[in-house]
Order: sequence, then C-alpha cells, then structure tokens
Amino acid sequence: MNLFVRAAAIAVVLHITPVVVLVKRTDAVQALLPGADAYFAREVHLSATDAHRLHEEVDWSPEDGVLTFYLGKAGPAAVGALVFVRVDTPHGPIEVAVGFTSQGTVRGVIVTKATVETKPWVLEAVHLGLTDHYRQLKPSATPGGAAALTGQAGSLAVYVAGEVDKGVARALAAYAAFYRP
Amino acid sequence: MLFDLCGADVRIKWLVTCLLATLGLSYVFGALMVSLYAGFTPNGIAATYAAPEMSMPMPPDTSVVVERPMYMAEFAKPEVHTVDTSLLVQDTHVHLPMYGIIAASLSVLVAGLPLRRGWALGLITLLFAAPWLDFAGMWLTKFASPRFASVTLIGGWAMGAGYLVVAALAIKRMWFSHARS
Repeated sequence: MNLFVRAAAIAVVLHITPVVVLVKRTDAVQALLPGADAYFAREVHLSATDAHRLHEEVDWSPEDGVLTFYLGKAGPAAVGALVFVRVDTPHGPIEVAVGFTSQGTVRGVIVTKATVETKPWVLEAVHLGLTDHYRQLKPSATPGGAAALTGQAGSLAVYVAGEVDKGVARALAAYAAFYRP
Repeated sequence: MLFDLCGADVRIKWLVTCLLATLGLSYVFGALMVSLYAGFTPNGIAATYAAPEMSMPMPPDTSVVVERPMYMAEFAKPEVHTVDTSLLVQDTHVHLPMYGIIAASLSVLVAGLPLRRGWALGLITLLFAAPWLDFAGMWLTKFASPRFASVTLIGGWAMGAGYLVVAALAIKRMWFSHARS
C-alpha cells in the first residue's frame, strides 16, 4: 500500500498540467510594439555553428532552428522588435514575450503562457513587479528578476521568476547575436 | 453473480453511489479538458498527436535571414496543442494505471449485477479495452498514421459508454430493485 501511495504521489508530481494563455499574443504585440501599424516577421535560419553557439550560451535551441523576431513600424519609423521565447520547466512550458525598443534596450517583458500549475506562481511574481525589473536592460545584461523577488515572494514565485529570467536571458542573447536593425 | 449489489448493506450501496458520482464528475471534467485541447474530432486529435512533417531541413552553412510582412490576424491564430513523444510517454505512464484501477472498480460492480456471464465478460472487456484503445490510438496516430485518431475517439467514447452502462445498471440494482430471496 505504501508503495502504491508513493507511486501515486510521484505520478501526480510528474504530471504536467495543461498550458494556459495568460496574455494573448496579439495583446502582447500591441503592448510591446506600441503605435506600430505594420509588422514584419524576420526569421533567422541559424547555421549549425550559430545554433550551437546560442545553445552553449543560454541553453536554448529555437524551434526548427529558426529564430523569429517580430518587428513593428509606425510609418517609416521602427518601433522596435519582439521575440517570443519558450522555457521548458519540470512543471511544463512557459512563454515569455520580450520587447525591445529601436535603441536596443528592453521595452517590456510579458509572460504570455504558463501551465495550470505554474499560473498562480507566475501571477504572484508578476504582481510583485517581476517584469518591471527587466525594463531598460541592455542585451549584454544579466536578468535578475528572481534575485529581486527573493524575500518578498513565496519560494515558488521566486522559482518561476528564475525561469522567466532564463527566457529573458535567451531573448537578450538572441537579440545581441542575431538582430540587425 | 458473485454477490448481489441489491442485497448489499446500505453503507456499501452508498459507498458505491459516491464512487460512481465521483468517477462521473471526473469524466465530465475529463471531457471538458479534451474539448479544450485535442477536441472531439479525428482532425483535432490528429493535429494534437501526429508528429509534424519530418522534413528536418539541414541548417544552412551560414545563418540566413528572411523577412516577410505579418498581419495582426496571424498573431491571433489559435495554436494547436501538441503532445510530443516524451509527454505521451508520461501521459501513458500516469493515466493508464489510473484507468486500470477505474476499470477494475467498475468491473467489480459488474460482478454484482444480475447479468448473463457473456454480457458481464463483454462489459468487463469493454471497460479495460476502452483505455487501451484510447492510448493505442494516440501512439498509432503519432507513429503510424493520423487516420488512427479515430481509434482514440472510439476509445474515449467507449470509456464514457462503459461507465454510463455500469453506473445506470448499478444504481438501478442498488436503489430501485428488490432482492430475490
């Protein structure tokens, strides 16, 4: 019986809950590329060398080896760029949208997807100002959202903030290495 | 009949009724969850489980950039919830034992119903075969052909049908029948 209970507990712990949309992609695009009236998808098909370099740097391989930046323009003027990054955690994936200004600093970060399990942790972290800590970061910076929340938020919110940090770090590395205005 | 639900102590009848109600509730929410993700059509199930086209393009020698216009509607496109092999391994590992326990519980009730041996054996077979079909369909859809999505659909409906038949017969037998002396 004891074995059965332990097996059931392990099964529950390992079960990844479904993905939930926290912010629609369209809303994230409008928030992170404000005022844009035209959008472009810039797909960087990574060479094996570049893909390896990105993976070594931030432990990330974009899906199908294609890194996609979404660019916004208002008339002829560039508004900025945006990248969606997926972070796979033991509790399921989260998706982070990282927007850059045309000067190349972080305009904002929005957690667009979480799972049923991680949603309350993400919401707690966001309500405590997690995403504010990423504003104005330069591509060479190291995100420190989790460190900023330590002591203010519960351990699970701090944990998930660390995962968001990973997503932001990936976006920063990708932007620094592969985005050309 | 190994025993008769009709003549069972009222406490056992109440236990069985509560078990059936709990299972019924979990099945309702299971159906809701399916409707949120894979859906109830072969096409939806195939999109969820079938592996994407295995084109696996070779990475270019040097990174290549392609830019194209994007429309807001493209950002709003509903994303297909997909289940990869790792997640399917985990889902099978987590769900199948639980389905086995549910099938066993319902089969015990079948043994307490005044059914011909052949009908009882058929019903027990249905209770166990339904989850097998459900998961066999998912695996076959992933590795053989998307056409096997209908097997998953048949398995899912069979699980629901098996539960409804056993629940209806058991409730009728326990609460609306008189035991023969």
